[in-house]
Amino acid sequence: MNAVAGSGAPLSSSAIIAPRTSGVRLKVEQASYAYAATDRSAPKFTLGPTSFEAQQRELVAILGPNASGKSTLLTLLAGMARPLSGRIEVDGVEVSMLDIRTRAQRIALVQQESELLFPLRVWEYVLQGRYPYGKRLRFESDEDCLLAGNALAQVGADALRDRWMDQLSGGEKQRVILARALAQQPSLLLLDEPTQHLDIGGKVELLRRLRRLADESRYTVLVVTHELNLAAEFSDRIVLLHKGKCLRVGTPAEVYDRALLEEVFEAPLEVEMRANGRPRVILVGNH
Amino acid sequence: MRLQRGRMVAGFVSALVACAMPAFAQTTPKDGPIVIRDRVLEGAPPKVMTDEVGRRVQIPTDVKRVVSLAPNLTETIYALGLGKLLVGDTNFCDTPPAAKLQAHIGDPQNPNLEAIVALQPDLVLATTSINRVETADALKQLGFPVYTSDPQTVRGMLDSVEHIAEAMNEKQRGTELVALLQQRLDAVHARLSERPMVHVLFVVWLEPLQSIGQDTFISDALRWAGAESVVVSKQKWPHLSIEEVVRLQPDYIVFTADHSGGASTELADLRARPVWRDLDAVEQGHVVNVSDEIVRPSPGLVDVIEQLAHEVHPEAFAHEYEIRNSKIEMRTAANRLANPATECDLCAR
Amino acid sequence: MRPLTPRRVAWICAGLGLVLFVVGVISLRMGAYPIAVTDIVKTLFSGAIGRWDDIPSGYRSIVFEIRLPRILLGILVGASLSTAGSGFQALLRNPLADPYVLGVSSGAALGAMISLIAVPHTPGAIQLAAFAGAAATTAAVYFLGRRGGQLDSATLLLAGIVAASFLSAMIMFLITTMSGRDIRGVAFWLMGDLSTALPSNPLPWFEALFFVFVLAAGAIYATSSDLNLILTGEQEARHLGVNVNRVKLVVYIAASVLTGLAVSVSGAIGYVGLLVPHLMRMMFGTDYRLLIPTSAIGGAILVVLADTLARTIVSPTELPVGAMTALAGAPVFIYLMRRRVR
Repeated sequence: MNAVAGSGAPLSSSAIIAPRTSGVRLKVEQASYAYAATDRSAPKFTLGPTSFEAQQRELVAILGPNASGKSTLLTLLAGMARPLSGRIEVDGVEVSMLDIRTRAQRIALVQQESELLFPLRVWEYVLQGRYPYGKRLRFESDEDCLLAGNALAQVGADALRDRWMDQLSGGEKQRVILARALAQQPSLLLLDEPTQHLDIGGKVELLRRLRRLADESRYTVLVVTHELNLAAEFSDRIVLLHKGKCLRVGTPAEVYDRALLEEVFEAPLEVEMRANGRPRVILVGNH
Repeated sequence: MRLQRGRMVAGFVSALVACAMPAFAQTTPKDGPIVIRDRVLEGAPPKVMTDEVGRRVQIPTDVKRVVSLAPNLTETIYALGLGKLLVGDTNFCDTPPAAKLQAHIGDPQNPNLEAIVALQPDLVLATTSINRVETADALKQLGFPVYTSDPQTVRGMLDSVEHIAEAMNEKQRGTELVALLQQRLDAVHARLSERPMVHVLFVVWLEPLQSIGQDTFISDALRWAGAESVVVSKQKWPHLSIEEVVRLQPDYIVFTADHSGGASTELADLRARPVWRDLDAVEQGHVVNVSDEIVRPSPGLVDVIEQLAHEVHPEAFAHEYEIRNSKIEMRTAANRLANPATECDLCAR
Repeated sequence: MRPLTPRRVAWICAGLGLVLFVVGVISLRMGAYPIAVTDIVKTLFSGAIGRWDDIPSGYRSIVFEIRLPRILLGILVGASLSTAGSGFQALLRNPLADPYVLGVSSGAALGAMISLIAVPHTPGAIQLAAFAGAAATTAAVYFLGRRGGQLDSATLLLAGIVAASFLSAMIMFLITTMSGRDIRGVAFWLMGDLSTALPSNPLPWFEALFFVFVLAAGAIYATSSDLNLILTGEQEARHLGVNVNRVKLVVYIAASVLTGLAVSVSGAIGYVGLLVPHLMRMMFGTDYRLLIPTSAIGGAILVVLADTLARTIVSPTELPVGAMTALAGAPVFIYLMRRRVR
């Protein structure tokens, strides 16, 4: 692999953004959380103790229906809140202990699209991903530009470089947002329901890209989703959540048990095992 | 959280300290001898007067160039016969007509400082009734003596006239003019001494209805004309509702010449308005229109007082035959001084 | 991909600075009292080297005590308002925000009025009281505008509007009930007035003002990278390592200080804080590392220009500066609005 970015060694033009260490990238140990109720009617929401691990090059799906605690877990993983109990470690360091800049260098969160207030070009947007490196009031260096360009290439959005953000299609915008996250050179890439606004073609394309990023560029990718078949097809590991409780952690084949899934998703389902060892979930229609 | 609050407090405190710095840097305007810039003072040293807002003003003994910052001051200067010393006045100075031909220095409220400097006056006259303190301060900083008058009553206006004359080194003229004006006022007063005051509503503005307070210059002038404003208020320009007027039922309603037409137009207008047309004063046709000199503390005020006295106390001046048209007839006090024959021939003395 | 470099910032600012200089010289030239440009240069030069006696009498007063202070004040006020405006637009996530939307100018006006009633004829009292009013309003709106302990844009905006309305009502109340004479000066001041009477030794006063400006504007500029990120979304910015809460607080305080400074010195001059950042965005892009310095210089240019026009167009009558910026501002604003709806 080429030189690790940031080491000071000269980068070749084909440098791939390579994350840092190898081995266990993410370790979640009995992490739990509770939101204080903001008004009387809202129930106290908790995430029960959850444990799992993720390695380099793995794509982990955090799966569950709405209000199952997925977003809470993601917030904890991103370091935006401290777990009530247990620990979350990235590259051996507890996440909530990191200062925000270092954290931004290790963990990148790809959120769903947001409203931009003023027009911005794609490359400007992606370049912002370099913010965690260097001084607070900073002007981007050549290295920054190189890395940003590479990030765009990695998501196949090179051609979009000079376009305006508000003129992109949904799928294009998502790629650009992903590129900005990649520009952060994170160890851990977190995505929150990234397939929501995409059509089936877009969904598959995105997951394929994430898979490729994990396999080839050695990211650890965590995707929060409720898409059963996408998760089954593309992830190495699944964390199944239901009403704040972590029910099961394992490979798709291990986790996709019909009774379990029916209970969690409250819908009649059938689970079929395919040739490649991955399960497929079929919706059962009217009886 | 505590750290953030501490920072916040520090932030506000430093902001306040920063705001205090200009105060430390600032000093009060010089109160000592004011050197009139670049002017060679000839002859006697400048005389010191205290103006009517309590400032010490140093005025050269030889005043040749005067700038007036208000219409009433301009009028006073001309009334004293000192128009030749005036080198600049405001856009609003229209009495006497010669005042309109003077070099203008802008509005009384926001005069052009450069224009004033360009005229290089020996003395600048200002008045609290229309000028701003900031203007006087600025001129003082630039080294020009500014005499500010503060006439609150009719007598105060007469005192001002004397002081202004003194400031312009023509004390004698001042005394003479004031004596003349006082005489006329006393004559009116004598005629009215036996008679009860007439109750009037002085209308500053019709819609919304606005009148004058009891401690204003205008109310004092009205009293000299034997009229008492029905509006009792500590405010200068109180707003009232028409209901109040109905309750107070003034004997006369007085408008100033700002409204176009004359009393006859006003009367016709009021007769067409609901509620107004039912007032006693309107039914009897007791609507008077006076010159807007009544709001101006200047010698011309005495004309208006006389006019108004004639209007609201016709019986006191019963010997007259001339039905005076309520339209304004403006005659300046200077003309009166020059032509005693045109003295009000109705107040035969 | 051509990112912003310090050099580009410097060049653009130098260009704008040159425009400001030219405008300043033109402004020095114009006025009721005619002075030729060559005489102005000579006067400035003699003054700079301390040879006051060489200057003809009228010139010295006019150039150094009337025109130059006005121009310097205009620069200060214009720069302060524009920088504050750009800061508030980012803070409130609202391109229509101007420095007065959070009630700071109303607070300053109220302070000024109270000082006119309580201690009239006291030099410097108005400025001090106005600034105190601005500071108090800033603090009050801050406490009202928090949500969960942090500054929330929507809540802040609401709190500011409420404060502004309340303070305006208080001012109305005072105007109608207090003696007419004392309050008249405030009407002028409310529209914007650059002809403040200067203290007898104006240099330290200007220095102090300038110092405060540099401090506050510098604080905002230091957050300009952060602001760029915050404008793409607060949560996103947090995930990129921006301390959003601290940045918002710094911008809030600094922009309020700048607004308070400008308003206490010269009244509420409108449209500058709203328009100039937009104009600069249209010309130079939305990057705050460039927007803040260009807004500052652009604002200075606008105010000096407006003031020059205000005092020369219908000489000797002086129009209030606020009226000129509003007159010029409205059509430009309408044009901008139409361009946005592309």
